[in-house]
Amino acid sequence: MIYGDKTTGIIVTGATGRQGEYHIGLMNEYARQIGGRGVVAGVTPKKGGQTVHGVSVYNTVKDAMREQDATAAVVFVPGGAAADSIMESADAGLELIVAITEHVPVHDTMKAIAYAEMQGCSVIGPNCPGLLSPGEVKMGIMPSGLFSRGNVGVISRSGTLTYEVVDELTRAGIGQSTVVGIGGDPVIGQTFSDVLDRFADDPETKAVVLIGEVGGNLEAEGARNTDVPLVAYIAGVSAPPDKRMGHAGAIVEGGESDARSKIAKLKKMDIPVASRPSEIPDLIRNLFRCHC
Amino acid sequence: MKLLEYEAKQLFVKEGIRIPSGILVSKHEEILLHMDSIPGKAVVKAQVDVGGRGKAGGVLMATKDTVIDTARSLFNMTIKGVPVERVLIEERLDIQHEYYVSITIDRVKKQPVILFAETGGVDIEETARSGKGAVRSVTFTPLLQDIPGFLLRELCGDAPADIQKTVNRLYHVFRSRDALLAEINPLVTTPTGVYAADAKLIIDDNSLARQGIAVNRDLTDREREAEKHGFSFVELDGTIGVIGNGAGLTMSTLDLIEYYGGKAADFLDVGGGADSERVMHAVRLVAGVPSVKVIVVNLLGGITRCDEVARGIIAAGVMVPVIVRIAGTNAEEGQKLLAEKGYEMLDTMDHVVKKAVEVSG
Repeated sequence: MIYGDKTTGIIVTGATGRQGEYHIGLMNEYARQIGGRGVVAGVTPKKGGQTVHGVSVYNTVKDAMREQDATAAVVFVPGGAAADSIMESADAGLELIVAITEHVPVHDTMKAIAYAEMQGCSVIGPNCPGLLSPGEVKMGIMPSGLFSRGNVGVISRSGTLTYEVVDELTRAGIGQSTVVGIGGDPVIGQTFSDVLDRFADDPETKAVVLIGEVGGNLEAEGARNTDVPLVAYIAGVSAPPDKRMGHAGAIVEGGESDARSKIAKLKKMDIPVASRPSEIPDLIRNLFRCHC
Repeated sequence: MKLLEYEAKQLFVKEGIRIPSGILVSKHEEILLHMDSIPGKAVVKAQVDVGGRGKAGGVLMATKDTVIDTARSLFNMTIKGVPVERVLIEERLDIQHEYYVSITIDRVKKQPVILFAETGGVDIEETARSGKGAVRSVTFTPLLQDIPGFLLRELCGDAPADIQKTVNRLYHVFRSRDALLAEINPLVTTPTGVYAADAKLIIDDNSLARQGIAVNRDLTDREREAEKHGFSFVELDGTIGVIGNGAGLTMSTLDLIEYYGGKAADFLDVGGGADSERVMHAVRLVAGVPSVKVIVVNLLGGITRCDEVARGIIAAGVMVPVIVRIAGTNAEEGQKLLAEKGYEMLDTMDHVVKKAVEVSG
């Protein structure tokens, strides 16, 4: 496992909001199915004392940690206040923060991540679906029904495209070790490179699917610095320049941030790149054939 | 959202950056009202959001005598397809030296990155972005309010102290205005001091509200309408309308259209957890794009329920054919509803896109 397992206790911030409440329910339903601890506390300022799906809500992360044993936070606090919640969670001593929130101002994100990393804390996201290790832990909003346990890791800047690929893998009989959505914003905490470092030390992961998109150059940076066998897919071959394609970070801004340049770079590193999501299972099979 | 030069300069002034004196006009006749403040030697600049404006003829020299004719010629121009609606008339500076400074975000380091060159000018931006040539750069923690002095010295080399001060002031603009890019090219020295001769500022779309910007001008009317419904929408120039959920899956659907030889008319991401009403608006919006011959709906339900999607498609009741692939939460119920109304459905992303490309001819 790479960011947590059945024993991980999770705090949800923004617990009493619509999204927070809904996903505490789903996360704990999954935890019950697999015998994990799941969400052990919620946090919303001024709502301490309430409960959400039987989970106690506290005013602050520190209050929650005094009474509950937790090492990770999942942040649902909306846009303008999300960065504050990330910093609060880091300050309270949590090791991992998964920020689901969309539309966080990028300057807020930069500061919050710098602050959290100074405290030795890892941030996944923002603007991400979180992570899921089948049979072990779910931190975020991924639909667990599509997943199956196995030896392939997935790292993606996207949400639903990740589910599409996971669905393809599961149907092809290829299970997943851990699936991590790192987020669609220009600045994110854990990058491809960081997650690949974790996968490299994970005995359960034999290969990783890297799902990238237009904007920035994190894909090549990650692929260059790892020995883990990879298969890649890059979305946005048809994306026009200077247009934001849904994600704040998905924009071709000159240089080599377009999909074709990224694909060319990956191919130069001898990494198989799928031209359609449905090709990914075959590329994984080929990879295992080569490495067995 | 990109600001125009004169808007950026107004924000620069508030942080203590000096700009040339100037007047903004939206008709050449307006200049007559300002003749007293028109300098003997002027620069007349089209206010358009277009790269390479100078090379495209959008910046002209004039004297007090020729300024009206010069402005008129700019108002009669379109620069790379963009009509000139505003013109900025500035004093022509007595330039001794031109520098280049640009502040943006380094995605790998997750920090501000400041680029500086001893020689500014029209070709420097390409050089700077390619990382070649005499461009120096520094990155540092976003937690600091000022660029540390040692980094300013490293960055600016032998440039005068006022240049260093201006670079730090530009960082204040970058930080306080939630900018994705703050740039001065050229940043000039003159006998009367340091000036920002040009200005570029792009504001983070996620910060427009707190920056007091009500309308995102970078969007078309249809894109703005889409934003009201909570969609991410981009107009393209093909014939196949696209509706998906999630930016990655929708982008991937567009790519698949290209893979099978078609051309997408739009990118529309309905967002997470869309109900039937939102889907209905999405279908109607895409059907309203004149070039659309067929619409592909490709949704993978996680939080989004496929029965709601089906109800939305049916409620939209548009004339153009809608071809559907829905999978995930409540997919069977959704498929049943659509089948009853005779909608064409396919089981995978590949199949639905292939079919749409065929229909689009």
